[in-house]
Amino acid sequence: MKRLILISMVLWGCGQPQQPKQAFEFKEKLSDYGFFTGELKTLTAAAGVQHYELSTPLFTDYALKDRFIVLPAGKSMQYRDSGTLEFPDSTFIIKNFSYNDTAHIKTLIETRLLFKDPFDQRWKVMNYLWNAEQTEAVKWITGKKVPITLLDDQQQKVSTVYQVPNTNDCKRCHSNNGQLLPIGPKARNLHPHLQQWVTNGSLKGMPALTQVPVLPDWKDSVHYTVAQRARAYLDVNCAHCHTKGGDAYNTGLFLEYEQTDPAHLGFLKGPVSAGGGAGGLDYDILPGNADRSILAYRMNSTEPGTAMPELARTLIHKEGVALIRTWIDQLPRNQ
Amino acid sequence: MKRYLSILIVILAAACSAPKAPGDYKTVLSFGPGEEAKILEAFLSLTDSSSIELKEGLYKFDNLSLVQLKHISIKGAGPDKTIFDFSGQTQGGEGIRVSEVKDFSISGITLRESKGDLLKINKSENVRITDLHTVWKAMDSSNGGYGIYPVLCNDVVIENCYAEGASDAGIYVGQTNKAVVKKCKAYKNVAGCEIENTTNAEVFDNEFYGNTSGFLIFDLPDLSQRGGHVKAYNNYIHDNNERNFAKSGSFGTTWGVGNAAPGSGVIIQATSDIELYNNRIINNNSSAIIIVSGFFVDSKAGEKIKASYFPVSKNISIHDNTLEMGPSFPEPVFAHHTGKILVAIEQQLNQQDTSRKGARIPLILYDGISTNVITNEQKINPDSICIKQTGSNLFVNADALNIGTKNWRLGTDMTAFSCK
Repeated sequence: MKRLILISMVLWGCGQPQQPKQAFEFKEKLSDYGFFTGELKTLTAAAGVQHYELSTPLFTDYALKDRFIVLPAGKSMQYRDSGTLEFPDSTFIIKNFSYNDTAHIKTLIETRLLFKDPFDQRWKVMNYLWNAEQTEAVKWITGKKVPITLLDDQQQKVSTVYQVPNTNDCKRCHSNNGQLLPIGPKARNLHPHLQQWVTNGSLKGMPALTQVPVLPDWKDSVHYTVAQRARAYLDVNCAHCHTKGGDAYNTGLFLEYEQTDPAHLGFLKGPVSAGGGAGGLDYDILPGNADRSILAYRMNSTEPGTAMPELARTLIHKEGVALIRTWIDQLPRNQ
Repeated sequence: MKRYLSILIVILAAACSAPKAPGDYKTVLSFGPGEEAKILEAFLSLTDSSSIELKEGLYKFDNLSLVQLKHISIKGAGPDKTIFDFSGQTQGGEGIRVSEVKDFSISGITLRESKGDLLKINKSENVRITDLHTVWKAMDSSNGGYGIYPVLCNDVVIENCYAEGASDAGIYVGQTNKAVVKKCKAYKNVAGCEIENTTNAEVFDNEFYGNTSGFLIFDLPDLSQRGGHVKAYNNYIHDNNERNFAKSGSFGTTWGVGNAAPGSGVIIQATSDIELYNNRIINNNSSAIIIVSGFFVDSKAGEKIKASYFPVSKNISIHDNTLEMGPSFPEPVFAHHTGKILVAIEQQLNQQDTSRKGARIPLILYDGISTNVITNEQKINPDSICIKQTGSNLFVNADALNIGTKNWRLGTDMTAFSCK
């Protein structure tokens, strides 16, 4: 703990964060932050930088993701039953995107930072783009198309033009009612880490682990039903926009795990503004018939204007589409 | 990036510290063709109270976006001079996307050929869209849905704009409160202009022509708000007889614009408190004005009643319009699912009443599905449909609940629906 404070003091310049006089400015290079030790590309966490994984993650072109939380010295996260954990000012959330190339070598593309600015208590976003030499990532706001050939989850070669988002793209998914927020780190999606965080003082206010709600692991067919896995998948991949106050609020299609209204879930719900994206189909979800469901149709497309999610995906997530199709096909036809 | 920032700082230093009048901006940036990368960066790093001016010329973009800002202006040299081309778009739903911006204006630009919508403005306030053109040259189902598309906004003015080739509506206002569409033109879209789940809208001095359907006022279920209180006047809505290209196959959806029959002038569906007057509605050769309920397109519309949706159109006032129709249906109507119903109505009417001598389908079509079907009552005109129009062959009650059954009885007596 002592060492953590010391390192944090080096990182942040002071042990006790004070109200700053001006808004935070992101640094030019990823290495400027000192998040990692040794060779940067190994993403070896420095002290105070905590690696974590989500039970059900967002799909991004079969990218490999390394996630870290960096709390300011002496501060902790506050447990929340729903939504994300509550983070103290000056928290960094780091998400690194890479892929396995055809020689099975992990190649880094981009690193995204979320920072909760103590100046105004608001989250800010910045993206860092890795160089070809894999020695550094630099601040990059305009997005980029990066041609890559990766190995997917079945170790099949796939070529695509990976789309690094621009900073406004980041805000689209991370925004609710005009506020920029983290999406992933919800207690229910972080079970393997919670107890450890309580023990090391990073997390306060958590009830007994058995009392913490659980989001199903979308791949775990042993412990969860198809419906549970499908709803978890939709929650993580769609519900940050498809929720009240989210970017797709206008559609009336809301896909949070807690959602129970059949119309909001898309059952026999007509599309609102899908245009050609509806593919000539009548309903978001026609229970029992994935072939006639717009939801499955749009997940199975890479065409702009049709593909869903609109951002962060240029490839079809075959396994995800298969799960959603199975779920829709299994839904009772008479709802 | 550094150089750009230093330029920005110089500009900031040169500008006044506070805006003098509403039209003034703390930061004014100006760009020309070839500076697309800088423009993209400017959009991404824009601060409150900024104006971006685009000189004459052709600009190519993948897409552009503005998010969470206040007091922003995007200004071109005029729609014939400043052209934004999005034909290279590879990701995302629209050409320009504006989200959560307060006090936003855009003017003097043509936007063309995006894969998704051309200009989407989401959850914004005090929006001014003027002298803006949105164009897809071919009438193709792969075109984006909407040209000009404010949704979930508050206080929108769309003026002197032009929309062409949208596979849904050229000008679309959705789930918005307080909207004005004036002096605009819409040509060769599926719907020229559509006001959907929007309250307090005024649509006047526009020309909607050459579309599948000229002007739509719709409410759809399961959305954030119910629409209504829409006035449309002094519009010229003519020659909307094109095929419905809202997506090949089933012509779109139960609820959507795919239902608009080729040859419809104005369609009012499942909404309320509408006044339609002093319009010239001419040569829309399937129907000048259609008033229908949600039941007309979905037998389950009754199950969707909520505070934010009521399927029956109510308080509709139609008066003093100039209505004319051509001598025959447009060809594309025969291939369209709703179109076929209109054709059947004309045939049935003429069979039912030989004294009509094969006259055209009447100018105003009402589906005849009233709140009586919900309340199980037999009231006369319970939904206050009021029509004051002169001329002959004006009105048909299509008795839509009985279409295709032996009980189908069309009525042309307008007495119950004449304004008191």
